[in-house]
This record gives sequence, structure tokens and C-alpha cells, in this order.
Amino acid sequence: MLQKLFENRLYAFAVVLVVIIAAASAVFSSTFPTFNNFSQILLNLSTDTIVAVGMMLLLISGTFDLSVGSTVAFVGCFTSYLMFFFHVPVPLAILLGMLCASVIGLVNGYLIAYQGINPMIQTLAMMGIIRGGALMVSGSGIQGLPYWFNVIGQSKLLGIQMPVWYMLLTVGVFSFLLNKTIFFRRYYYIGNNEKAADLSGIRVKRMKMYGFILSSLLAGAAGILLTSRLGAALPTMGRGLELKVITAVILGGASLSGGIGKMPGALLGALFMGVIGNIMVISRVSGYWQDIILGLILIAILWLDKFLQKKYEV
Amino acid sequence: MLRKPFLFVVCSFMLMVYSCELPSKNTETATPSVNEGTKDEAIKNEEYVMVTTAVTMPMYVHHDQAAFLKWGKARGVKVSVLGPADWDVSEQINTIEEVIGSKPSGLLINGTDPAIAGAINKAVAAGIPTVVYDSDIPDSKRNAFLGTDWYEIGKMQGEEIASLINGRGKVAYMGILGLNNMEAGFKGLLDVFKKYPGIEVVGKFDDKANVEEAAKITSDLLSAHPDIAAFAGFDSNSGPGIALAVKEAGRAGKIKITCVDWEPEHLALVKQGVIQMLAGQKRELFTWYGAQFLYDMAHKTNKLSGNDAKAGITDIPYSVNTGLLKITKENVDQFINH
Repeated sequence: MLQKLFENRLYAFAVVLVVIIAAASAVFSSTFPTFNNFSQILLNLSTDTIVAVGMMLLLISGTFDLSVGSTVAFVGCFTSYLMFFFHVPVPLAILLGMLCASVIGLVNGYLIAYQGINPMIQTLAMMGIIRGGALMVSGSGIQGLPYWFNVIGQSKLLGIQMPVWYMLLTVGVFSFLLNKTIFFRRYYYIGNNEKAADLSGIRVKRMKMYGFILSSLLAGAAGILLTSRLGAALPTMGRGLELKVITAVILGGASLSGGIGKMPGALLGALFMGVIGNIMVISRVSGYWQDIILGLILIAILWLDKFLQKKYEV
Repeated sequence: MLRKPFLFVVCSFMLMVYSCELPSKNTETATPSVNEGTKDEAIKNEEYVMVTTAVTMPMYVHHDQAAFLKWGKARGVKVSVLGPADWDVSEQINTIEEVIGSKPSGLLINGTDPAIAGAINKAVAAGIPTVVYDSDIPDSKRNAFLGTDWYEIGKMQGEEIASLINGRGKVAYMGILGLNNMEAGFKGLLDVFKKYPGIEVVGKFDDKANVEEAAKITSDLLSAHPDIAAFAGFDSNSGPGIALAVKEAGRAGKIKITCVDWEPEHLALVKQGVIQMLAGQKRELFTWYGAQFLYDMAHKTNKLSGNDAKAGITDIPYSVNTGLLKITKENVDQFINH
């Protein structure tokens, strides 16, 4: 049973997470294991996880997108710009924001899949362009957004903030799609062997383009959600998010070479980083040390994973 | 047959609608609950937390955080500095919200962006004394604010430049465009120049708080306007960037420079005669007195009524302008030796 548990990276990772949570609950018994703290952790990682779902899809197909953090900022700022300066009704502004997100994904996907531009170069260039766009439309930020827009991210259901529900819904829906539909399973075939997938009749280029569009749409939705939660659009939103999300997704079982990964892994990876971050805040670890500690823990977890895989392969 | 699932869906939907809580349109004014215990042994267990963004920025480390840590040592209380390493306001908000759960004795928050108002209000609603420093968040329910009047920073630079160039010549200024405090500074500068018809403003530039960017803008301006007489810088990196380009052009001392902040590199440039004046903020006072306000609030040091919280009053100053330092070649040694 133990062997089976450690053979599956997701289960092994979940066990490590449970051990960390149990230890933190014992050490910080009055502050860590509370409903408020857990719902705050989930709330803080909700937008990251939604973006991570899109990144998981891309990594499964063997590619990635570095412009997701800027997409979060641009879509949030653009939607707010429409509502604040042009009094565009909330649903229409959101729709136009999501349209922008899909155009960003379409441009990335088309140039990478059809024109053969390297994904790192293309998405890096896009990252700069739309970060500039976010600064241009929002200046130093937009405050005073419509009440019904803020409702989207600030409401609660069963005492838990709505972004957490949206995150769970997103992970659930994409998990179902990836497991149960032929269309989404094709991403595994593409990630495993792109040439073989092409020869077997899968329209690889088109599928790749769809992947980028979906990833951008999820980043756009996360941007709108974060803006609504903050009640303000900040051009600095999502800075460094791309690396955070790629780390979470790799922690959650995906590989940079493609072909593997499961959606709950995206949630688990983000949850791991959220829990460690929260423990550091509660134990008052200074900001100087936080990145160093997080990096060391990530290396340790990946090493442990490799070690266990080797051990049980024999 | 179909009725049962239908009823289930309807009931579930109604339950969800019933459980849904919308955010309130107007948050209630919070009445912070104040710690009653003032005994010495209890003080040691008190914790005051500073939450900023870009926690590793040298200006914050050398001035704000150093004074805060010194205050904690002097008072014999625990102090912690938290926040993301980069300029990430949403991460600062996350940190504030996570800290609230651990109920510190007081929260000292760097007023980085108006968007942090919601998190400040949550802290105040949770009964935690909360003071904002650096830039005010006027739409929040913070208990007090300490900082500098940026309009005065602009005026100080404007008056010094006008005097240095005898009221005639081309002037350019730069900083982070769009930030409320810097925009107020720019306005102060321009209001002074209105009194001098001989001064021509060639433009306002965004150096993105980056030394290289400030140097690049300056060298471009030196090429476009060889007769430019002065530069004014508004963020911490504007001065060193402008000075670098002016030195490289071999015009140090001929072109006049004023800027803000007084890090060792700024002071060295004043000493060398490359920068003529620094408008320094008394950042140490932001956090020393900010922390002291928190302490006084928690200990009800200056009780003004039978029950200040019930009476809806705060027993600390509402807003404090900490004032400015003027550093020139005449007095720079005082600050270098400090």
C-alpha cells in the first residue's frame, strides 16, 4: 500500500502536505488550524490556481506561457478602465475583457503553432507588450469600481469567499474534461510525441492554439476575479505570477517535457506554496528569507520525489 | 421520475442563494478594542507588525525598518517586518489579511496604494490598532497617518532650482508617473516655476524608479537640449541616474540637479558637487512614532473620555506631517558622518 502511495506523485505530495499542515497545526495551534486562516489561504491562492489550470494544460501539451501574469493585469485593468471611464455595464465590460484575453491567446497560439516562433520568446514579448498596455490603461491604478463588479469577488457562500468556489469549480471542470473527453486527452498525446500525434490525425497546430487561448482566458478570468476581490485595478497585479504558477504546476506533477500531469496537481502545488507562505507569515519569517526558504523546500520536495520514484521502480 | 432530481436541484439552488453573503456597500465604522493589560510582564508578549511591499528595498531597510526595529528593542516588545520582496501590492494585501488572524497588538502599514484600504479596514474592524505611514490611504479607516507632504517636496526643489539657475533656463523633471505622492510633488515644482517666466519646462519623464532608465532619459535630453540647465528627480533612483548621465557627459556641476532621499550614494554625489540639493524625508520618524502611536493606542496612554472607543474618538493624532530635510554641500558632512 505504501509502495502504491509513493508510486503516485500526487498522493505522495498530498501526504507531504498533510504532514506539514499537521506539524504547523501543532506548533501554531492558536493561529494556524482555524477556519478563518484556512479560508484566507484558499482565498489567496484562488487566482493563482485558476491560472495554474491553464498552465497545466499547456505543460501537458509540452509548451508554456510566460505572459499569463501580464494577462491577469491587463484584463483586470482593461475591464476596470471600461467600467470606470466609459461607464460600460459590468457584464459587457467583463465580456470585452475576456475577448481581449482570447485575442492575446490567439496571437500567442497562432505565432507559436503556425509560424514556429519559440514559445519562450513569443510569450516573453507578449508579457512586455501587455504589461505596458496595463500601465497605459490604468495609470497608477483604478479605484472605485461598481458595486456589482466587486460582488463577484467579495461575496461569500457558506462562509467561504467566492473566489475559492470559482477555483474549485475550475479545477473540477477541467479535471473532468481532461479525464473524460477525447478532445482534451489529445493534449497528452501531443505532449508525449508531437509527431506521432500529428501522424495519427490530431490537428496538433490547431490544438496548440486552442491551448493558448484557453490558458489566456483562464488568466483573464483570474485577472477579473482579482480586480473584483481587491475592488481596484493595479497595473502591478500578477507580476512574477508566471514563474510562481509554473513552479506550482511542476510541483503538482507536470513535466516541462510534456505528456504528464493532472488538474488536481495544479491545486495541490498552489496549495503547497500557499500553506508554506502562510506558515512563514504566522511564524513571522522576514520577507528577506521567504523566497530562500520556499526555494529550498521546493528543491527538497523534488529531490524526495525523484528518490521515491527510483526506490519503487526497482 | 423527473420530479425528484428537479426538486433536488431547486432545493440546492435555494440553499446556495440563502447562504450567499454579499459585501456590504458601506462598511461600519470600526471601534478598535484596546488591550487592557499594561503590566510590564504583559508588554514582553506584545507584538507589533510592519507590513510593507518591496521589503528588501534599501531605502526601506535603512530608514523605515531600522527605526522600527530600534523602537521594538527600546520598548522591549516583539516587532516583525513582513511583506513580499518585490513591489507587489496584492501580495502585501494578502500578508495583511493573513496577519490579522494572529491578532498582533498593532499594525504599521506602508501606504503603498489606495487598494490596500479594504485590508486596513479589516484590521481595524478586527480591533487591531492600525497606523499607515509614507503615503496616506485617506479612504481607509486607519487610526493615524504619518508622512511627508509631497507638494512641499516639489516646492522645495522648485525654489532651489530657481535660485541655482537664477530664474532662467530649461528644466526637466522625472519620477514614477501616476503615483499620487509624486504627482503632488510635480505640482509643487510647477507651481513654483509659474513665478519665473524665464524657466522653460522641457518635460515630465517616467524613469520607473530605475537608475539606468533615469540615466538614459537624461542623456537623451542632453542631446536634444544641449542648453538644459537643471534636472529635478522625484524617486529614490532618479538622482543617481541623472547624476550618472551628467557625469558621463562631462557636465557635472554645470548642470544643476536636485532630487529626493538621502541614501549614501546620494550623499556622496552631493559631496562631489554633482547633485546640488537633496530633499530628504524623515523616514525614521514615520515608523518610530507610528509604532509609538500603536503602543499608546494599545495602552490607552492618553485617555480622552470615559471610553474613547465608545465615544468614537481615537486617542492619537489623526495625521502627522513629519517635515523635510534640506541637504546641500554645506551640511552634507553632518549626514555622512551620521
